[in-house]
Amino acid sequence: MPHYVGSPQGRPTAWVSIVDYFNSYSLIPSHFSHPSPPFWEQCAQPVTQGREQGQEKDYFCYMRKGATLTAAALLCASGAWAQQPVDSIQVVDNADFTFTESQLDEDNDAAQTVSTVAGSKDDPYLSEVGYLFSSMRFRVRALDNRYNSYYLNGLHLNDAELGRFGYSMVGGMNDATRNKEGMSAFGFNRIGVTGIGGATSVGARASQFAQGSKITLTGCNRNYVARGMFTHATGLLPSGWAFAGTVGYRWANEGVIDGTFYNSLSYFLAAEKRFGNHALSLVTFGSPTERGQQGASTEEAYWLANSHYYNPNWGYQAGEKRNARVVNDFEPTAILTWDWQINDRSKLTTAAGFKYSMYSSTALGWAGDAYDPRPDYYKNLPSSIFDVYNPDVNNPDYLAQNPYLLDQYNDLLDYWRASEANRQINWDRMYYVNRANEAAGGEALYYQERRHNDQRMFALNSAYNVDFGRWGKLMVGLQINSTKGMHYKTMADLLGGTRYTDIDKFAATDYGPNSMEAQNDLRHPNRQIGKDDKFGYNYNIFVNKYRAHAAWQVSKGIFSYHAAGYVEGTDMEREGLMQNGRAPENSYGRSGKAKFLGGGGRMGFVLAPNANRVLSLQVGAQTDAPLSNNSFVAPRMQNNFVQNLTNEDVFSGEASYSFRRGQFSGKISAYYLRFMRGVEQTAFYNDQESRFTYLTMTDVERLHYGVEWSMKYQATTNLSFQFTGTFGNAEYINNPLAEVNYEGMNAATLAALNKWTNPVTGQKGNLRVIADGMKVSGTPQTALSLSVNYNVKGWFLELTANYYDKVYIDFSEYRRLSTVLTNYVSLSSENLQYDVTEGELKQQGGILFDQKGNVVRTYAGKQERCDGGFMLDASIGKFIRLKKGKSISINLSLNNITNNCNLRTGGYEQNRDDNYNTGVARAYRFSKNAKYYYANAFNAFMNIGFKF
Amino acid sequence: MKKQFATIACILLAACGLTACMDDHDEPNTDGYLITSPVSLGEVNYSIAQLKQDKASLFTQTQSFEEIKEDKILEGVIAANDCGGNLYQTLLLRQIDGESDQAIILKVKTTWLTPYFPLGQRIKVNLKGLYVGNYSKVPTIGQPYFTSSGNLRLGAMLLGKCATNVELVGQPNPACPECQPIERTPEWLRATANRTYLNFPQLVTVTGTLAEADGTATYAPEELQDAGYAVDRTITNATNNTKVTLRTSTDSPIAFEVMPQEECRFTGILTYYSEWQVQLRTLDDVKPVNEQN
Repeated sequence: MPHYVGSPQGRPTAWVSIVDYFNSYSLIPSHFSHPSPPFWEQCAQPVTQGREQGQEKDYFCYMRKGATLTAAALLCASGAWAQQPVDSIQVVDNADFTFTESQLDEDNDAAQTVSTVAGSKDDPYLSEVGYLFSSMRFRVRALDNRYNSYYLNGLHLNDAELGRFGYSMVGGMNDATRNKEGMSAFGFNRIGVTGIGGATSVGARASQFAQGSKITLTGCNRNYVARGMFTHATGLLPSGWAFAGTVGYRWANEGVIDGTFYNSLSYFLAAEKRFGNHALSLVTFGSPTERGQQGASTEEAYWLANSHYYNPNWGYQAGEKRNARVVNDFEPTAILTWDWQINDRSKLTTAAGFKYSMYSSTALGWAGDAYDPRPDYYKNLPSSIFDVYNPDVNNPDYLAQNPYLLDQYNDLLDYWRASEANRQINWDRMYYVNRANEAAGGEALYYQERRHNDQRMFALNSAYNVDFGRWGKLMVGLQINSTKGMHYKTMADLLGGTRYTDIDKFAATDYGPNSMEAQNDLRHPNRQIGKDDKFGYNYNIFVNKYRAHAAWQVSKGIFSYHAAGYVEGTDMEREGLMQNGRAPENSYGRSGKAKFLGGGGRMGFVLAPNANRVLSLQVGAQTDAPLSNNSFVAPRMQNNFVQNLTNEDVFSGEASYSFRRGQFSGKISAYYLRFMRGVEQTAFYNDQESRFTYLTMTDVERLHYGVEWSMKYQATTNLSFQFTGTFGNAEYINNPLAEVNYEGMNAATLAALNKWTNPVTGQKGNLRVIADGMKVSGTPQTALSLSVNYNVKGWFLELTANYYDKVYIDFSEYRRLSTVLTNYVSLSSENLQYDVTEGELKQQGGILFDQKGNVVRTYAGKQERCDGGFMLDASIGKFIRLKKGKSISINLSLNNITNNCNLRTGGYEQNRDDNYNTGVARAYRFSKNAKYYYANAFNAFMNIGFKF
Repeated sequence: MKKQFATIACILLAACGLTACMDDHDEPNTDGYLITSPVSLGEVNYSIAQLKQDKASLFTQTQSFEEIKEDKILEGVIAANDCGGNLYQTLLLRQIDGESDQAIILKVKTTWLTPYFPLGQRIKVNLKGLYVGNYSKVPTIGQPYFTSSGNLRLGAMLLGKCATNVELVGQPNPACPECQPIERTPEWLRATANRTYLNFPQLVTVTGTLAEADGTATYAPEELQDAGYAVDRTITNATNNTKVTLRTSTDSPIAFEVMPQEECRFTGILTYYSEWQVQLRTLDDVKPVNEQN
């Protein structure tokens, strides 16, 4: 029997080969219940089999590229400067992975990966995990970034629409944002009542910069390959003025991921004037950035490309690489801060800021019957030919009887492997089709659109702090934010075409190209679109927030008590600038305001019998307005708010114990967070319905709990060991209400689709997502780290071994809709009996009914848990003090030294089920083909700083 | 102090200069762009008529198909394609010259074939490695696939096969004789002897009125669609009551058009399963008889 594993061609050319792949990995027959596709499991190893010699790079090219760049950086550098061991902004850059056509929400997921409260000084756990676990996009307590607050010079900068802070806003400004303080959610702080995930507060007043100049040069093999920064600060001058500025540039003609690039300038300018007890500080900063993005893909595509870093977002155009997903981001911001030291015991800090953010990302669009241009579109994959997971099909006899199945499978496999261009976007073909179609009297079928999410924000924060001595400390303040989000898309490129009509292709298919529904803007029907013209959708979202908050802390002997509370009013409104043909009555103009009153409080006490032992207990409850980003049923199309839109309630508790005993110190905490009445919305390209879809869940309940710790053993003054980690669990604990909106459908059609029919009684009910038991995705819920630190004579060395586990991929709400899952009615009225096994239910999901139509139990189906794994990091640095206050610092950090290319940081299920609408199984199994992201392969970061 | 600011300003300006847009690309030259074979497939040594003759059993037995294992190179002209959105992955390949009454369906697995295979385009097809047989009795060249009913049927060939098995010959000429439909009279349609695979598929014109046309009814409303995502209407001939089914995809722009009530000439691909059936290429394939006169 031929055995093809490791063969020169490495491809299955007969049925036996596929089976052998299975057998060689002991996955037959069990692979049919295995969560991962079997024959591409082998790409867990850095194999080069299956591709011709010299055809393209293997995993180790990244090592080579990194080494080259590192050497280049060393050669180029002429000076040095003290620098953080790890580039903290890399945390931001790790978030720069992107989304595919079918999962537009991933950009949000990317942003939420950065959720760690930076550099919490009084919490060894929070101070460590920020960069320790950043490679795996770790989120503290599995919390979304929206639950963390970010302040700069006293101004709260979280985005009012998304709730999150976009770290790209301060990208490349390391020297400006170095002075940061982490704050836990429960501790007393002088700025405000933070999010439930804590806060980061950056002090970047001109006088807070270190006096002098410095140049920093960096070489790495990450999203960018080179970085240069120059910073100069005058320090506080005798005149009471202080000035500081930093400018940086990050660049990669091609980043570590094929087809990506990076082009980013950063600037931060600060001026401060002190007079008497007052100080006025003005800062302005921005980071205009243009970058090509990476996309997730299926394990099969990774296997075919022989790389877990295959990027389907790019292709060759006229022989040059072009990325279809390009982000342009620039958020110029100005903040004026007034510090008034009223007296020794009281201080008023007031900050006012303005931000005008210009964010856009491009994507391919296609009209009419044009073929899906995504290279990893499922119909292009070998496994679309026959069901490789079905033993009735994938067996020797069947494939021998039907040899054309394997022939076609191999044809597609060969095509993917024949050249790199074959598995990337075919730009030239799109140009050809557009030109040919226009020559025949038609218009452009393919185009590149630019989706804009611009924003204008005014914010004002004021915090008054007073120390009452034995009566404790008090902070009272207010926080105001007024945001206008501007959302529209423009035509970025007609790809060789010159004509395009602004109609909705899905509605044109459903209601006819001449129907009212097909029009995206009834006020300008059949508008001809040229480059840079707005089309498709155009709307504004207004959000206003007003918050008053206070915090108090007092110490009595060994006890310390604290309490904090806030009241917040929120209003939000949509303003449609187009009259959409699917919603002619409620798309143009203002929606009217939705108003929410929220608030909450936290309290706790701390027992500190002595300086070496501290026990704290804290609890909190709060109710917060939903995000405007989740509040409209289909914001691109209409003004309607989501049904059952409510505040989200959060109950929280935390107990922690800090200690120091000899050379041993540490802190251990346990936490409990329960979220109720939450609202979550996903927006994605729905392959099942072939249209853009919004799916909103309301009444969402989640539970997050676990323990986290950081312990340090100081063996000698030079040598220490640190053990940091968390065991947590974060999951959905109910079946939320669901509301689905398919773009292109009118209200009547949607109303019918948003009802679920009881299979016994025939009664119509609310649509639900069967989510009970689903885990929060995209972060390790278990993370452990053991590190060794050694410092001697200006050298510092650190070696860290990290272990990650319990990483879940994002579950598809769509596939778990009560109308999509199978309903099973008991076969007996006396005993509950079903023609399905519990194993099948746990795998596929389903809803069980008794014969009276009562729901007995729901099964959400299996959610894939990624394999755990280790990662080894190291860092070495040297600080050299020179004469006249000058100094050089050199730092080399190496991440993922063992080049573990198999650590998944997350992924998502495809929003499509395995059956045709006829109920017959498809050849391609979407449930077995989730899309994944992988942690970076071995990478190096060389940083040289020169201070003068 | 001034010197320091000047330095910062210079660096800022220099950095701005570095940040020129990187997402800027030359437009490709697509003259001569092909998805088909860039080299000659060889001399034509076969014809559609011969194929139908040689593989007669494949065209008469239910849903049968067979792989062609020899270099059989035939030539034809694209007489129908998906330019109107009513045909899916389907080309009508019509024999050239003297045997232009012979034609066969060539199925290719991609949507919007028109730019690659415009009407009047002459092509060569090497059948080696492709499958020949029938899909619902219609003689077809393609490859087998699993249908949405879970059955294996002869369907579209992989797009990649075009690069090895199909060659474009010359420039398209939509005015060529092969793109002119054959007139099928009611008498011809009624004759039982004509209901043979040798007479279809073919580009034809039939004349009649649509039975369902009432001045408001459209060709293919979604509420009437069958499992094939299409709607059947009936073309009735006034003289002898001959009936021909007009089948229209509900996804086609034609689907939303109101059917004419007057007598018309309908041009499209003629096939026969249990009755004659015509599929339009575009709405331009419907012409009122009076307009013709």
